Amino acid sequence: MNLLSNILYDMIYHSAPLILAVLGGLFAHKANVLNIGLEGMMLMGAFSSTLFVMLTGNLWIGILLSVFCTLILGLIFSFFGISLKSNFIITGFGINIFVLALSSFMLKHLQMANINVSSIINVTGLKINIPIIRDIPVLGSLLSGHTAITYLSFILIIVVSIIMYKTKFGVYVRVVGENEEAAKSVGINGTYIKYAAVLIGAALCALAGANLAVERMALFTNNMTAGRGFIAIAAIYCGGAKPVKSSVYAIIFGLAKSLAINLALFAGPVSGLFEVVPYLMIVVVLFAVSALEARRTKIRGFKLE
Amino acid sequence: MKKRDTILRSIYNVLFPVIGALFLGGIVIAAIGENPFTTYAIMIQKSLLSGGGLLKTLHFAAPLILTGLAIAITFKANIFNMGVEGQAVLGAFFAGVVGFTVKGLPPVLHIGLCVLTGMVVGMLFALIPAVLKAYFNVNEMVVTLMLNYVVVEIVKFLSQGVFKDPGSGYVSTYPIADSAMFKKLFNSDLTAFFFIALIVFGLMYVVFKYSKLGYEVTAIGKNPEFSEATGMKVSRKIMTIMLISGAISGLAGAGFLMSEKFRFTLDFSGSPGLGWDGMLIALLGSHNPVGILIAAIFYSALKTGSDYISVFTNVPKDIVGVIQGMLILLLSVKFLNRNFNLADRLKAIWKKAGSKGRKAL
Amino acid sequence: MYAIEAVNLTKKYGDFVANEDINISIEQGEITAIVGENGAGKTTLMNMFFGLQRPTGGELKVQGKEVSFNSSLDAINCGLGMVHQHFKLVPSLTVFENILLGAELKKNFGIFGKAGFKSPIIDRSLERKTVQKLIDDYKFELNSEDIVDSISIGAKQRVEILKMLYRNVDILIFDEPTAVLTPQEVDELLASFKELKNQGKTIILITHKLREVMEVSDKVVVIKRGRVVGTRNTKDTDAAELARLMVGREVILNVNKEDRDTSRSKVVYSVKNLSTVNNFGKKVLDDISFDIKEGEILGVAGVEGNGQSELVRVLSGLMESTGGSVSLHNQDITNWWPGELRASGVGIVPEDRYAQGLCKDMTISDNLIAGYHNNPCLCKNGLLMKKEIEKQGDRLIEKYDIRIAERNGNVSQLSGGNAQKIIVAREFDSDPKLLLVSQPTRGVDIGSIEFIHRKILELRAAGKAILLVSSELSEIMNLSDRIIVMYKGKIVGELPGKNAGSERLGLMMAGLPAE
Repeated sequence: MNLLSNILYDMIYHSAPLILAVLGGLFAHKANVLNIGLEGMMLMGAFSSTLFVMLTGNLWIGILLSVFCTLILGLIFSFFGISLKSNFIITGFGINIFVLALSSFMLKHLQMANINVSSIINVTGLKINIPIIRDIPVLGSLLSGHTAITYLSFILIIVVSIIMYKTKFGVYVRVVGENEEAAKSVGINGTYIKYAAVLIGAALCALAGANLAVERMALFTNNMTAGRGFIAIAAIYCGGAKPVKSSVYAIIFGLAKSLAINLALFAGPVSGLFEVVPYLMIVVVLFAVSALEARRTKIRGFKLE
Repeated sequence: MKKRDTILRSIYNVLFPVIGALFLGGIVIAAIGENPFTTYAIMIQKSLLSGGGLLKTLHFAAPLILTGLAIAITFKANIFNMGVEGQAVLGAFFAGVVGFTVKGLPPVLHIGLCVLTGMVVGMLFALIPAVLKAYFNVNEMVVTLMLNYVVVEIVKFLSQGVFKDPGSGYVSTYPIADSAMFKKLFNSDLTAFFFIALIVFGLMYVVFKYSKLGYEVTAIGKNPEFSEATGMKVSRKIMTIMLISGAISGLAGAGFLMSEKFRFTLDFSGSPGLGWDGMLIALLGSHNPVGILIAAIFYSALKTGSDYISVFTNVPKDIVGVIQGMLILLLSVKFLNRNFNLADRLKAIWKKAGSKGRKAL
Repeated sequence: MYAIEAVNLTKKYGDFVANEDINISIEQGEITAIVGENGAGKTTLMNMFFGLQRPTGGELKVQGKEVSFNSSLDAINCGLGMVHQHFKLVPSLTVFENILLGAELKKNFGIFGKAGFKSPIIDRSLERKTVQKLIDDYKFELNSEDIVDSISIGAKQRVEILKMLYRNVDILIFDEPTAVLTPQEVDELLASFKELKNQGKTIILITHKLREVMEVSDKVVVIKRGRVVGTRNTKDTDAAELARLMVGREVILNVNKEDRDTSRSKVVYSVKNLSTVNNFGKKVLDDISFDIKEGEILGVAGVEGNGQSELVRVLSGLMESTGGSVSLHNQDITNWWPGELRASGVGIVPEDRYAQGLCKDMTISDNLIAGYHNNPCLCKNGLLMKKEIEKQGDRLIEKYDIRIAERNGNVSQLSGGNAQKIIVAREFDSDPKLLLVSQPTRGVDIGSIEFIHRKILELRAAGKAILLVSSELSEIMNLSDRIIVMYKGKIVGELPGKNAGSERLGLMMAGLPAE
């Protein structure tokens, strides 16, 4: 019973940053801008939020400033990818490597192994326990005791669905991705829409990073996102870039992580190998989704992506 | 005449980002209160302007030439094999295992066996994304990235477990036997591995420039639909390209272990890693073998030089990573091309931004 | 006052001049046709009218006022609308969403009876009603809730027209509107032009089809190589004069084809019960069977999107069939790959020149060997024989009269006609037994059309079997010995090439039985 509770709690815990990155990445993906830089943007969120919390001593100001920093990163990506028409896969990797290097450079410069702000932030105090629900077994661990951004991420699934399918902006994002010429012919500015899509992604990635670092552990360590940005891309891809479906894949990957952590406790000597489970699962899920699609099409060969 | 224009244009396209990234890196150095000029001067002096430093630079360039080539052949075909890092690490690890478990072989055989192990392991590991991409159209980029993390965990597990050298103070495998080491030549850091890298470079030069495979790789990269329609069997070519890439990556890792590190540690590949350096080098060299050779030496000089800057200044050597990131960013844009140069493009953007100023061109 | 007036309008791309000193005045309430060959610069001109491209010189006046459009939105606000040759529609959206794209209607929320405020949420039911009313007003045949991807080409065109009419434009520009329609649909469209004219709209019709020009327009402007070479009142001119102005010389509109009796010739190519499905599992090829004999051209007619593309894809090895068989000289070649097909003597001129036929960013000689680069005289031990390749390139460039500026230049610099000739040279010169030719002259200048037609007939005379797929009816009728018509993935009938008659073909293309 206890194990089940832990698995469910950790599933939500590990899904939240993935969901945020997925929802953020969706907009750019729908607008036909493949944002490989999600990983770097998330790392930027994690790094800058911790750094600014340390400098300002205030959690929310820290998070706000980190959103601002990540937006600048998003602007750089958009300017290169959209305005200068770069190869945005390469631009994205540039962003990732740059942020990774910048954060470790700064750590070295500050002569720290990691940034620990637990003296400023009481992590347990950030968990929101919902009365009544928290006392219900299983459901309580699923729904109660999470942080604000975690709850926000799940609420955003619905909000993003509405934006994407019910509002003008959502329609325009999809139209620009599907047929930019059509958008242009009725005076929709594809460039603005794409910029907006990337920037939304950057902001949500900043929140994901902040959730990962300050809000959960009050700690930043080198390369702490560990490929979550790419996992988000896989989830977007598997879910056909639909908000709910892609989020479900994010939750599945969160579950894999949670299972790996919770079951490794019983694995004894091979527990170290459990770390690979989430990554392998992504490969398997991606394979299953793509293989199904590949079987359906009778057209041979490959297209430029 | 026209050809020379094209070459000049691609040189400008590379020079501009290099200068830009060094300039921005200089700003970062200045921002932490250090002098960028002295920092760069130390880097260049230690890596290029002294005989020993130059040979050291060449020595460290060897694995970079290889990972650069490994990335270039797939990127050129528009296949994003980001697994070069993982393939190199895994190849190195198992080359190391063969290096310390097999005993009593003559050096030539032992070295050959280790190198072969590295290449085969790299190939086998590249086989997974290759099959998935070629026959099921699974996005190779995400798969190879994920598998990189798998590699990290596996080698960590193995080097903390069965292969851990208890005599070492940190997590590390046993050192490889003497017979498996590339020996230093001419009293310098240079080893035979550098020349192996040069041979591979020569082979790849022929492949890129004169072979049918090179022609097909170019075509696939530029237009896969056309390639399929003209009978190139793209899926089979993807397999070939990925396997070649995996073998070269494995060789890069194995050679680096056998010529420099001699034992596998968790920070073997460095940060951000040999494969990532290879990506930068492939881009810097515009996927052209000669360009890659030059780029690898250039980047190796940066890295070699960076080892000294923390001795003489307070700049952390991670500055190279920062420059690398900015360089990749800048390289993703083709600033000059046939119809469109940067000045025109910026002008167009400027005009769009302030659309009131309607001036005739 | 003119509806639109262009004064010395010029558009240059670097050194290339697309339009130079264009002077056109278009009268209110008239139908003006702008004619010219493919590549003469008509579309560039219209894109400047519609704000999609900015002129590099000259002036544009609408209703007497000088204008400068930054986007098509500005043009629409000035009362200009355009129906593009390649529809600017979003396939996954519905008809009403497409029509209201960029002009969405939002939900009003009234609170306690007070005046409501606009919410960001789109009011779909209001949109649907608005569009249905618009459709009914103009008596168009359309259902506002259909997904655009699933409607016919004629219907898509009506969506484009309504999209403009909803925006209250007075001037409508049509870019090659009849290129993809059946003859009957063309007649309907021409009739609706007259109807729109009666309602006071000004119409600009861009086309290279002179029959339509003579039938519907009031005034004709002829453009050649980016310049206006003549302006006529339609009633004072005839098709022959316009053709001469367009091309600069007399045009032989019909090809001379010798009749021949193929009833005793050997069957070269035989397709039996061929079927396949698209990604959604829908049958797009349904039980297709035909034979082609030596020295015979079999034409495949049909409105685009009725399975012709898939037929060529399957036959050229780019798509798998789900049933049926294909054989060449009694050898089963069903589902062979393109490389194997070429090796066994099938020449392929694909439908989409720049997607499957050529690699734009490779050199001309590299393109001329593609598909035949395994040939032992071009490739030994995995290495390409650069000298041989260049020699072959020179030979083909000479023989097929490919006009190039730069020998080592890329294909992207060539005009449509010369690019197409590269494919024709490559595939025709390999001495195939069978030729699959799809849309051989789409977007090609008249000189190249004549050349390509002549080459096709030469191969016919040499006894090759040829499958010709084209949406250009006159091409099919002029060249084919027999014609099959496709509708919704099936063959709905076969006609002899001689005296097929566009009327009968048109009916069959619309899915109606031939009498």
